This record gives sequence, structure tokens and C-alpha cells, in this order.
Amino acid sequence: MSLAESLTAPSSDASSANFVSPQKPILVSAADRHDWPPAIRLAGLGATLGEFEVLRDVTAQFPKGRQTIIIGPNGGGKSTLIHCLLGQIPHQGQIHFAPPKPRIGYVPQRPDFDRYLPLTSAEFLALGVTKRPIWLGLSGPIRRRIKAALDLVKAGALADKPLGGLSGGETQRVLLAAALLTDPDILILDEPATGVDVYGEQLLCELLEGFKNSFTVIMVSHDLATARAHGDWIVALNRRVIEEGPPEKIFQPTILSATFGLHQGLIFGQHPEPEPRKVEPPRSCCR
Amino acid sequence: MLSLEPLYSLLGAFYEPMFMRRAMVGLFLLSLAVSGAGVLALSRRMAFFPDTVGHSALAGLAIGLTVGLDPRLSVVVFGLFLGMFIVFLTRKAKISSDASLALVFSGAVALGLALISRQPRNAAGLNRWLLGDVLTVGDGEIWALLVLDILALVIFAWHYNRLILSSVFPAGLASRAWVDYLFGVFLALVSVLAVQAVGVLLATALLVTPAATSRILAKTGRSFFWLALFFSLVSGQLGLWLSFQPGVNASAGATVVLTSLFFLALAALYRKLVGRV
Repeated sequence: MSLAESLTAPSSDASSANFVSPQKPILVSAADRHDWPPAIRLAGLGATLGEFEVLRDVTAQFPKGRQTIIIGPNGGGKSTLIHCLLGQIPHQGQIHFAPPKPRIGYVPQRPDFDRYLPLTSAEFLALGVTKRPIWLGLSGPIRRRIKAALDLVKAGALADKPLGGLSGGETQRVLLAAALLTDPDILILDEPATGVDVYGEQLLCELLEGFKNSFTVIMVSHDLATARAHGDWIVALNRRVIEEGPPEKIFQPTILSATFGLHQGLIFGQHPEPEPRKVEPPRSCCR
Repeated sequence: MLSLEPLYSLLGAFYEPMFMRRAMVGLFLLSLAVSGAGVLALSRRMAFFPDTVGHSALAGLAIGLTVGLDPRLSVVVFGLFLGMFIVFLTRKAKISSDASLALVFSGAVALGLALISRQPRNAAGLNRWLLGDVLTVGDGEIWALLVLDILALVIFAWHYNRLILSSVFPAGLASRAWVDYLFGVFLALVSVLAVQAVGVLLATALLVTPAATSRILAKTGRSFFWLALFFSLVSGQLGLWLSFQPGVNASAGATVVLTSLFFLALAALYRKLVGRV
């Protein structure tokens, strides 16, 4: 089975190519899923960066206590949408939060930490949760709180490791701990698996699965297999919302083709076989 | 104003000349403020910030002389303006921090030279302002440095975490603008007051070198701060003592800078042979 086929195969197909975790059974029908109350509703959202209209009339919803995954091509406005939700860039249209003014935890794409900056993971986490300057050391309660957050993301052993020396997966888990320390109602992750190996990605997805009922999770992902396996709700975005709904609704050839702006054949492997490469003899042989 | 004479009397055990006692106090107070500011500058990868704002003293001085303002005031005001302007350039104009610093540096020095060259008779005191001399530190500078230390302590006690967080992980702050401008204003104030007290060479060297030495050796954010303070204090006092030795008899500012660089080299060697502390 090709990757394209695996992405569009029925969810119950046990042979689906999914390296993240076993395919979860569908416990709730698609019709029921539309009854999930929204944590966020977008109405006619638009945003421009410079003179370029990145988002146009985006209307969508993110179900409360569920994991919504935003998919789309590069330049499709996924990160811009995240920044609109975070209130970091101006936008047109409406963003309705329910309840209003929720606490939002944010895990960005892997930031470019200075590898040689003397700062441990625990100190880094303390920067965001206490005013007590880190040059005085971490107080007992703060250290315990940070340790608990790190344990929650299976990173307790990283507390005293230098921040710049962490691997991609370790960095993402520390950033996830930083977001959890804000006690969020909504957790937003922007391509958290970028630069993370298979093990790190699997661990991250398992952690997010565990958080599902605690708060609303919104994640941007380029990995369609991950989106299909772990998303409760998928928003297919290419400057506007192409479609939203449960995975089995979104992972259809027509929707994915429309989202990623490609001919179906390119996505679903129907392009002709490439011609065999012609190997020319070295010039010295021809003389 | 309170008299500093009792303090100077106590320091008679170290140096006989009064100017050396004043220099000792001045360097001590300077080290307290600039070491932490240096840690902030290096954390934000803006080590050239103090140098840029420090050199703006020339333009600040020239503006003061041109419009008839007290030069001490015009230097501070112009330095603060440039500090905020650098932050504005990096935030709004999306110019990288190194390019912003280079642009402001060249612009400020050019403006200062242009204004000063129109009034050559006022240029006599330029060496004092730019190169400075820690041995000419007076009570006025000492009081100014003390005020700077109190301000630095307030900033370090209340806003140190936010300033570091805005440097290493801006996405972790919901509201970042005021923290960025606080960084610009604070570092500019430290730079211009330090430049007024001891000259641009010594001020910028003491801002950056001990922090860089500490960065080589430190494992944690806590030790980064304290080691920077330690190297700043030791470089200042040891450099001053060396300059006073008959065999050396060199400019105190220069020996302080060279001492701080010597510690930097030692730290690099220690790190290579042993590791971080």
C-alpha cells in the first residue's frame, strides 16, 4: 500500500501505514462529532502580511477538550492562524473563545536556542513562572512544580541539563512543559515534530493523547499520518478553509488535492514511472 | 549631600593617594551594575549594544554643546533615545540586531563628528569624554554610579527573569514589547552613565568581557550571573592595583581592560582542560 493510499484508507484498516501509534478505533460517529461544543469559533477571519493576503474569510471551529489538527501546504496560513489565535498579529473577522479569555499555552516550532548559553532546563522553565530572579536560585516550591511538569512530559531527567544541549525531541518536551506550567485551557502547538526523530514524535503524540480530556489541543502539522491517527477534528487550510471535520471526512483525495493545490495524481501516486537513468561511459573511454 | 570622606579614610589602608581610593570605589560600583547588564546583552546576542550606545556619547556631547544643554544631560538623553531606537529597528523595521547596531553606531559617530567639527574650540574635552580616565572619578560620578547600582538592583530583582526570557525565548512572553524597550533603556542607561564615569573603552570592556568570561565557564544561569560579577570586580580592582605598581605604571583603564581579557583567556584554557564549573 502506498503512503497516499494509507492516508486515505478507511480508519478501520489495520494495515494503514502509521508509524506513530496503532490506529485508534472510531468511538464517536461523524455526526456526533459535530455536536462537540466549540472552544474557539472563527468567523470570517482574515489576515495580511505586508501586501500578501495570507488568510481570507476563515470560518471554522475547534472542539472543546479535543485535538484539532490544522493541515495545509507551506504558505497556506497555518502559522498565521496560530498567531491570530495568540493575538500576536492583527486580523479581520471574529475569534470567539468559550469561555472568554482562556489561558493559552503555546509550543512554537523548535526555537533556535543559543547552544552555549548557560541555562538549565529547570531555570528556563522558572523564567516564565516566577519573578524570583534565577540568580538567587530556584525556591523549593518552584523546583517541585517544575519537576512535576517535566515528569508529566517524561522529561524529569532533563531538569539540570543545559537548554542548548537538548535534542530536538527533548527541546519540544521541555517547551511542552513550559506550556503546561501556564495551566492552559487551550494548548496550541505549531509543528511540534519539526526536527524530531520518530521516537520523539511518537512520545510527543502519546503525551498529547493523554492530555486530550484535560484541555483543548490545537496543533499544526505537516505530517498527514500523524494528523489522521491523532486528530479528532481536522481543519484543511489553504489561505481559506477547504474543509473541516473528522479525519475520515477530510482524508479524501478530492479534499487533500484541493488543500495542497496539487493534481490528485501527484498526491496519490498516479504519475507515470520515471524513465530509467541513462548512464554514460566516462569520456576517457570514448577516446 | 552625604560626605564620602569616611569611606575614603577606610580605604587608606589600600592606597595612599585620594584619586586611587576614589577610583577603587568607582570601579567597585561600576562592576556591580555592568556585570549583570553584560549578562543580559550576551544573552540577547547584542554584545555590541553597549559599545554602540557608549560611542553615542560623542553625538550626545556635541548636541549638548550645540544647543547649549548641560552635556551630562544631553549624553544621557541621547543615549536613551538610541537604546530605544535600536530596539525599534529590530522590532518594527525587522532589521537584524547586528545590522541595527552597526547602522546606529556609524550614524551616531558620524553625527557627533559632524557637529563637533563645526566647533573645534569645544573639542578639547573630547578625550576625557570618550576615552575617560578612572583616576579622575570624582564624588559626582561616584554618586551617579551608586544611583545606577540601585536602579540595576531593582531591575535585576524584579525583571531579570523576563529580560532573560525575552532574549532566549520571545514566544514565551505574552506581551514582549515593554520588556524589549526596558532592555534597551536599561542597557543604554548603564552604558552612558558608565561611559561618563570612566570612558567608553573601560565601560564597554567591563560590560562585555567579564560576562563573556563567565559564559565560557558557567553551567547554569545562576553561576553565569555570579561569575560575571566576580570577574568584573576582580578585573577592576586587580587592574587598578597593577596600574599603580612602579614596574607597570600604565593607564588604569588600559590595565583593567587587559586584566579582564587575561581572565577571559584563562577561562578559555580552563574550559578546554577541565570543563565548565
